[in-house]
Amino acid sequence: MNLRDTPIQRKLMSIILISCAVVLTLMCATYIFLESKTYREAVLRNVSTLAAVIASNSSAALAFDNTGDAQEVLNALQAEVNIQNAALYKIDNSVFVTYPAGTGKSAFPEVQPRKKYLFNGNYLHVFQPVMQGEEQLGTLYLKSDLKAMFRQIKGFGLIGLALMAGSLIIAYFLSILLQRMISEPIVELEKTAKIISEKRDYSVRAVKSGNDEVGALTDAFNQMLGEIQLQNSEILSFNQKLEQKVEERTAELQHQKEFVETIINASVDLVAVFDKEMKYIMINKRTHEYYATKDVDLIGKNLIEVFPQVEKSKMYEGLKNALNGVASHDPKYKSEVLNCTLANYYIPLRNINNEVYGVLTIGHDITNLVEANEKLEKVNAELMKSNRDLEQFAYVASHDLQEPLRKIQTFTQMLHETEDKEQIAKYYEKINQSSTRMKDLIRDMLNFSRISNSEDAFVETDLNRILQNLIIDFELLLREKNAVIHFPNLPTVPGVPLQLSQLFANIINNSLKYSERNPIIDITSETLTPEELKNLLKLDKEQSYCKIVFKDNGIGFESQYNEQIFAIFQRLHGKQTYSGTGIGLALCKKIVENHHGLIYAEAEPGAGATFTIILPLKNRKGF
Amino acid sequence: MKGDSRHISPLIGRVNRSASLIISLYLLGSFTLHAQVVTATEYKIQAVFLYNFSHFVEWPTESFTDYYDPFIIGIIGEDPFGAYIDEAVAEERIKSHILEVERYNDVCDVRHCHILYINQQDPDKVRLILSEVADKNILTVSDTPDFIRWGGLIRFFTENNKIRLEINNTAARKKHIMISSKLLRVATVQ
Repeated sequence: MNLRDTPIQRKLMSIILISCAVVLTLMCATYIFLESKTYREAVLRNVSTLAAVIASNSSAALAFDNTGDAQEVLNALQAEVNIQNAALYKIDNSVFVTYPAGTGKSAFPEVQPRKKYLFNGNYLHVFQPVMQGEEQLGTLYLKSDLKAMFRQIKGFGLIGLALMAGSLIIAYFLSILLQRMISEPIVELEKTAKIISEKRDYSVRAVKSGNDEVGALTDAFNQMLGEIQLQNSEILSFNQKLEQKVEERTAELQHQKEFVETIINASVDLVAVFDKEMKYIMINKRTHEYYATKDVDLIGKNLIEVFPQVEKSKMYEGLKNALNGVASHDPKYKSEVLNCTLANYYIPLRNINNEVYGVLTIGHDITNLVEANEKLEKVNAELMKSNRDLEQFAYVASHDLQEPLRKIQTFTQMLHETEDKEQIAKYYEKINQSSTRMKDLIRDMLNFSRISNSEDAFVETDLNRILQNLIIDFELLLREKNAVIHFPNLPTVPGVPLQLSQLFANIINNSLKYSERNPIIDITSETLTPEELKNLLKLDKEQSYCKIVFKDNGIGFESQYNEQIFAIFQRLHGKQTYSGTGIGLALCKKIVENHHGLIYAEAEPGAGATFTIILPLKNRKGF
Repeated sequence: MKGDSRHISPLIGRVNRSASLIISLYLLGSFTLHAQVVTATEYKIQAVFLYNFSHFVEWPTESFTDYYDPFIIGIIGEDPFGAYIDEAVAEERIKSHILEVERYNDVCDVRHCHILYINQQDPDKVRLILSEVADKNILTVSDTPDFIRWGGLIRFFTENNKIRLEINNTAARKKHIMISSKLLRVATVQ
């Protein structure tokens, strides 16, 4: 375990014990060292003294070559057990006498003239010059065994160790007792702190044990606890107030939200909000009703993921612009998703920093309005057309209808002025002609104006029967003109039989009228191919049509008059050359338009004319 | 004159010396022959001993005239040491006193010395010399057998092939010559 993490009690004990151990070790080491040194010095001193005495006593023996006496002197060393060997050397350094007596001379070292002593291993070697007065007579060598000294030092060491062990044991028990003085208040403080942190009870107080630093710490701790308790209660009451306020605010906000939601959901317009990734954030009830969806289907989902078809629409553009900060208004947006038309508003939503974070889209359903408008426009166009027709009619009527009347007036006046019977008969004839023409004009005009736009009168009409009846009606004229009509089997179409009969009659009449030699009229019939249908813009692409072509060999006309010939009272030729009221082809056009079809003419002067009639094979009611 | 009176019977001394030599020859037999062989060595040792006496013996202060008075080893009779003694004392001092060796042919020549080695075969001559120096503080040394009995102070003798000493400490004390107890210990004291 790391020393930092050990309990303070153990730390204190460790400190005490380590200190004691270090001090004791140092003391014991010093004691042993000093004792050893002293002892060594004492041993050296003893041996040196002994050597000096022996040397002094053996000087005469050396001087006068008396081995017996010398031996006797050396034998006195028996009293000193530590002296293992001794020897006397003569002045010429040869061994004179040895101790114990009879020891081989080889056991002794050579005289060391410089060194007086030498500690070597377990022995102390001492060389003592033997002097008489100032004269050196020889040298004494002593070899002292140091075992006793080492034994003594060992003894000191053991004593030191025993002392240390004893002291440490005492120090251990003392430290147990003494560390409590410091650690117990701290441990108590720690326990209190633990209780407080676990139970969060700040009313607990630590017990003060004294007036030392720990006591001061305890006081400070208690004071802190008091402050915390006070602050805690303040925070608690503040919290309660805050919570209450938050609740109130939340309720208020909820109320406001509901209010806003109610309003938004009550809106008849489609309201949706997208975020920057064009994901739905909010959708009102109305929109869900339109889409037949719920919040879970759309909220958080990307618009393009849900409705891929929108990607190329104007709505996508509007959303993108709004995300770039540009509000826009699309007054007429044909929905790609719903079968309706909307007036859309794209409004950027900005946060406090004026950054766009979403788009508010409001769609106002204007489908009915558009439909009504279209209807109105159509009616208006029709109205304008009929107005134009009327104007033209009024003009033509005022001109064409007045002409026979003026003639009748003139001839009636001339009748009054002449007596000549032949002349009178001629004038009557002229008057009759003019009145007939007038009658024809009035009849055609009535026919023209009578053509109703209503489809109520539509029935399945067999065009074969219409044509056959017409040929019977025209029998005399055909014979007179020596004309031939070729026709195939014609289809049955929805329509007004009388109008269709008038249509065919006018075209045949037109062909017979504008021919100079034996007229031949070729009628062909076929179903309109999709290719042809595509090129004819005015037709309903869903419908199937039949194409009936009348081709003659008459005088034809300049192709620039292709359109003009269908206008009312429009004649390309004078009445003298070709009879006609100028209403026939206009009537044809009106009938074909009434049947939702097309009529057009192609011609070349002298090469005959071709009239093409295109009629739907089924009417809008489905038969 | 005094000296002369002591030299009255040199013949007797010569006879004595011859007799003792004869007795020695009788007593020691083959050893004597051997002793004669090592004589040179013995004298060499004796020369050293003579020098060593200067260390173990103290003379009264009156035996030196002054501080630098030399310490004289005198040899009377035939000099058996030759160069040995000169080598032994060369440049040696006893305290402040330079060691010198003097050789005397006649006892009359002996005026002032500290150690006197008497090498005389004739006992009478020895006794004469002893009597001549009796009143002087001179350490007399000789290897004459009866030397101690005649009043000599130190006698050399050979024992177990070793030179031993015989000392007449009583006589020495009378002459105020202090012989160290250490020296006495290694000698035979009368």
